[in-house]
Amino acid sequence: MSFLRSLLRFQESGLLLVIVGLGLLLTIFSGTVRIPSFTRTADGGRQRVFTVNAAGERVPAFVEKNKFFNAQNLAQLAKDTSFTAIMAVGMAVVIIAGGIDLSVGAIYALASVIGALVLNHYGPDGAGAATAPWLGVLLGIGACVGTAALCGLVNGGLIVALRVHPFIITLGAMAILRGIAFVITKGQSVGGFPPVFRELVRFEVGDGLSIVPMIVMLVVLVAGWIFLARLAAGRRVYAIGGNELAARFSGIRVERVKLGVYLLSGFAAGIAALLSIGYYGAATSGDGQGYELNVIAAAVVGGASLSGGRGSALGVVLGALIIQMISSGIVILGIDQNYSQIIIGSVVIAAVVLDNFNTWLSKRRLTHAS
Amino acid sequence: MKKILPLLVLALAGAALAAAAPRTITLGLVAKSQGNPVFQAARVGAIDAAKELSAKYGLDIRIDWRTPNEEDAQKQAEAIEQLVLAGAEGISVSCSDANKLTDAINRAVDNGVPVATFDSDAPASKRFVTYGVDDFECGKQTMTELARVMNGKGVIAVLAGNPNAPNLQKRVQGVRAVAAQFPGITIRDVYYHKETPQDAAARIEQVMQANPDITGWAFIGGWPLFTENALKWQPGTVQCVSVDALPAQLAYIRSGHVPVLLGQQCYEWGHRTVELLIAKIVDHKDPPAIKEISALVPVTKDNVDAYAKNWEKWLPN
Repeated sequence: MSFLRSLLRFQESGLLLVIVGLGLLLTIFSGTVRIPSFTRTADGGRQRVFTVNAAGERVPAFVEKNKFFNAQNLAQLAKDTSFTAIMAVGMAVVIIAGGIDLSVGAIYALASVIGALVLNHYGPDGAGAATAPWLGVLLGIGACVGTAALCGLVNGGLIVALRVHPFIITLGAMAILRGIAFVITKGQSVGGFPPVFRELVRFEVGDGLSIVPMIVMLVVLVAGWIFLARLAAGRRVYAIGGNELAARFSGIRVERVKLGVYLLSGFAAGIAALLSIGYYGAATSGDGQGYELNVIAAAVVGGASLSGGRGSALGVVLGALIIQMISSGIVILGIDQNYSQIIIGSVVIAAVVLDNFNTWLSKRRLTHAS
Repeated sequence: MKKILPLLVLALAGAALAAAAPRTITLGLVAKSQGNPVFQAARVGAIDAAKELSAKYGLDIRIDWRTPNEEDAQKQAEAIEQLVLAGAEGISVSCSDANKLTDAINRAVDNGVPVATFDSDAPASKRFVTYGVDDFECGKQTMTELARVMNGKGVIAVLAGNPNAPNLQKRVQGVRAVAAQFPGITIRDVYYHKETPQDAAARIEQVMQANPDITGWAFIGGWPLFTENALKWQPGTVQCVSVDALPAQLAYIRSGHVPVLLGQQCYEWGHRTVELLIAKIVDHKDPPAIKEISALVPVTKDNVDAYAKNWEKWLPN
């Protein structure tokens, strides 16, 4: 009983309950699916399993699994969530500080194409193919994440130096960065990376489960949690978002913190971009269109307050997971896709309303207690 | 026994019903974007083919439409992966970025799910067939028609949509190849834009204001013609040839602004790929060639009314 009480007091308990509830509903109503059986070969590859039917013919073997609750689908869900969730952790830091970053989708695109161009240079058909592959991969990773961090830093610098609302600066940056991505790629898709890089990001365990994006998401989540909940720097972010003037009077160097939060947001977008080019094997200037809205939606569903001062890394990751579960659930349940936007939009609004209600309830409880 | 008998009858009836229920085959359809009407026609084509083939084979063929709202190759790859996990037995896809979709297509095929592409191919993938126009030839045909109506001279511009789409790049190459054969024709530039009718129409307006000497346009996709008054010049003063011939676009033929539209068989994108997928899944039959080319249908003032009638069948009711 006391465990249940402490679980309910846990800040993200509501989100966890929603995830468990959604998972249960999808497991019950999704039905079953026949998935081909595979076995691992001696060289680590996958091979179809065959069986002999009643007529003596050799036919492929299948296993029947629950459409939602099976390892492949859950790994897929985690992988699809990871790109948005990683960016959402960065966005959460910005939102908690009372800011907004509309350029994350464009940063994602620019970091993707710059990383892709470097990786292509060291790829099998690139001019630097003779170089040690690991060097090329390291340079590609550095270029991708470094570009994104630099974009975030420039955003933060402009916001602090020009004292312009972050909405305006990041809106402008969104167009500029995507434009740069287009100019340097001439609109072409850039692929052809060193195989070792693709193998690293697409590393699979068990029956074809890609786990690298999920692991990176968990690392970013833990790093975000430590930063926000355990470090003094994180507490300063909450202080600024809660009351910037009070934070300034209490000696916090507000400009420096703001610079840092946009840097972190860019850095997170760079990590997501890196995973994306590694997993999907190419980048274009059109990547990440509209992702800023998905990321902000994940943060809001996860409990980050757009007026600043509230939110958590775990909350936004759970928010991203909820949105992805709904999106995947629509496919699994075979619901007409035309309704997906209506459903997801309604969930975002419902989450905010519930969050507001929860806040009101907490305040009421505090008032009664005092 | 009296109690057991009805239960037995019910169980037998249930078993008979289950045995009589036709086999369900779900096919995924992943187009480039929801908002583009050509893909809605492909969707109708796929649904019609599913109905026809369900009756022919005694199956229950279902089309699972999973298309991003706006062009997004990553979302398309995710849709393919999700469809495989949700039990789709075949997938038909128009690739926004061939490089990004190749792995997802290969993985689906490795999992025993055949993939067909339409409109925009992923040539390095394991798809068993691709259906659509030959994009280079499409560009050539567009420019040939434009050169004909311009009597082989003038300054032209090319409207080219999404710069990342490999099929559109090939069409631009086709336009350039034919234009090079006409010394009297100069290409001012190739203009890209977001693939919405409004963005395309706005781009034409901007370009014409900056370059009033342009006397011809090659639209390698018909995006601006979905809006009214996209071409703000007197009919005949600027010549224009466009790929696609959807109902809204036919008005420009009637008004005289566009002398020739080259209709892609977008209804067939869905219809034909479903036929090919079912032949592969049910009959285990591969098409004779990996590339199945669909011809462009020229639409002019002479045949516009007859062509318009097709759309009553091709678009969603």
